[in-house]
Amino acid sequence: MKRSYVIKRILYAIFIFFVVLTLNFFIPRLGVRDPAERYYPPQGSMSEIEYEIIKQFTRAQYGFDVSTFQQYIRYVRGLARLDLGTSLRSGSPKVTALIGERLPWTLVLSVTTLIISLSIGLLFGTLAAWRRGRWQDTLLLNASTVSVALPAFFIALMLSFYLGFELELFPAYTNPNMVAQFDWSWEAIQVVLNNAALPIMSMAMGGIVGYSQSTRNSVIAVTNEDFVITARAKGLSHTTVLYKHILRNAMLPLATSIGMSISGLIGGAIIIEQVFNWQGMGTLFLEANSTNDYPLMMGIMLFLSAFAILANLITELFYVILDPRVTVGDKR
Amino acid sequence: MSTRNVLLQAARRGGSLFGLVKKLWGHPKGRLGLILVSLLVLIAILAPVLAPYDPYDVTQRAEKGLRPSLQHPLGTTITTGQDILSMLIYGSRVSLMIGIITGVILAFLGALMGVIAGYVGGFADTLIMRVVDILLVIPTLPLIIVLTNLLGRSYFVIVLVFVAFGWTGLARVIRSLVLVLKNSNYVKAAELAGASRWYIMTKHILPGTSHLIIMNTTLTCAGIMVAEAGLSFLGLGDPTAISWGKMLAEAQGGGALLFGAWWWILAPGAGIFLAVFSFMRIGIVMEEIFNPRMRASSSIYKIFKHLNNSYLDEVFRSMEDEGPEEAEGQPISTAPAPEGGHD
Repeated sequence: MKRSYVIKRILYAIFIFFVVLTLNFFIPRLGVRDPAERYYPPQGSMSEIEYEIIKQFTRAQYGFDVSTFQQYIRYVRGLARLDLGTSLRSGSPKVTALIGERLPWTLVLSVTTLIISLSIGLLFGTLAAWRRGRWQDTLLLNASTVSVALPAFFIALMLSFYLGFELELFPAYTNPNMVAQFDWSWEAIQVVLNNAALPIMSMAMGGIVGYSQSTRNSVIAVTNEDFVITARAKGLSHTTVLYKHILRNAMLPLATSIGMSISGLIGGAIIIEQVFNWQGMGTLFLEANSTNDYPLMMGIMLFLSAFAILANLITELFYVILDPRVTVGDKR
Repeated sequence: MSTRNVLLQAARRGGSLFGLVKKLWGHPKGRLGLILVSLLVLIAILAPVLAPYDPYDVTQRAEKGLRPSLQHPLGTTITTGQDILSMLIYGSRVSLMIGIITGVILAFLGALMGVIAGYVGGFADTLIMRVVDILLVIPTLPLIIVLTNLLGRSYFVIVLVFVAFGWTGLARVIRSLVLVLKNSNYVKAAELAGASRWYIMTKHILPGTSHLIIMNTTLTCAGIMVAEAGLSFLGLGDPTAISWGKMLAEAQGGGALLFGAWWWILAPGAGIFLAVFSFMRIGIVMEEIFNPRMRASSSIYKIFKHLNNSYLDEVFRSMEDEGPEEAEGQPISTAPAPEGGHD
């Protein structure tokens, strides 16, 4: 039963991926009669005939010279070879190469943010649940309301202003030479950490509150379970009940939410990266947007979607493995 | 208490819009939210009367970068000397308009999809839930950026995109509620009496879901306002209008950080905060009114992480003891169940 469930989920994930891929293929072809139109260089002082030749050339270069169906087949074939297409930038770099270049820098931000917000969130959430109704709990409640109403990019601007420009604790803008000069030496790593401090702080703010809130709710839900009452009745100490019975069970939903958070963080870092001019996926996407580089944009989109699908799938499968109480198959 | 009873009770607690406003007014926090929201709406409507200067006037060379004073209560911009208070007042129009219009359309669309999926069931249900699954994995912000690039940067496009991709959360919640309502005695009685599907859907099912829809709408409005500010900040809003997000972008681009013009950053931030906060207040209080067993604002943050909010899902799950049927294709929930049900 479990194996059939796993196979079913994998097949479903593949199906979703195919739909997303197809959407991805057709979105840039929306709303124009000639999809190649967006790829033509400006006419400038060229004569009509010259421009027509350039157009033909562009069509052939970007594969618009065959029928849409053939283009689609070509696109899928390219994907099978992990080829997301060619960017319109000068030098025609591969989209995958560009993503590969920028992804680590975004991961630096998102993974660190995740670790920080998860660890502080767990600590504070457990505290709030333990001291339910006391000031710690009220503080968390107020913090959630406030943090939700304050957009992360506004927090980023304030941090950049106060810690960056006023107190000069951290660089308010990312050092433009950081990426080029990175060579795994201790100094280079220090530079990266220094530059990443403010982006991470502004991203972690919401995450900390979020994880605290869900830890709190999860811990309280488990605290009310019968087995916790039994454990207490057996005369186990508070700490034993907390660590062995409550936290272990409360952790489960949190552990499985990590996959989705990473994919969310990578996509969500766009605005923060823009504020600090951090050279990651987000700024890559915005650069592609401002130069109308559709292959690059759609490549990043597909990459992010695939990441989310994969994270979803892993989460679902892990959930079955981690929680023996979950029954798989038809719940009806 | 069984799920069905809780849900039916919650459904009964919903009422007319007027009754709802009255209930909100009776709640101290709700009253604050109501007053703030009506104040904001008034400000947005009366912007030309209230604004002391013309916010579009970029020719005030002598007034550049003034600190807050009596003449300019919130100071002026460094680059063009625009009056920040006037910009702030005009900016409220964009935020509120986008937030409220999108929220209301989303409420209709989400409710419709949810009711069709839940009540009609069968193929329609499968189709809608598959679409929900697909929309959930597509990264929202990049998609919105791509579509505004393709379709042009106007508020019409932004609302359209928000609507097209934001209905999934509400649809899922409404679907679960409808599945419960469908099996309730009064719907069965209506079916036996020979009422048509359409009649049951509009007269019995929709009214039962109204409270969730209204509550969701206020929270969505708040979420959309944050998202809109983000888009405008990235320079993807309507280029001709003044909005809070765009003010922040201009402040950053104009060197407000560098020259220490804190008033230029704080003002739009405070605007966004106030608008989102007051809408959220109403949403939270409504939740307390409809579902007193839920502690206020538990996991409310969720909604703002993505446009498709899983927040109501959780509210819902908290009311479930045995849990209503989930379609087999639906991903296993990874969200922690909030408290409730045991208090």
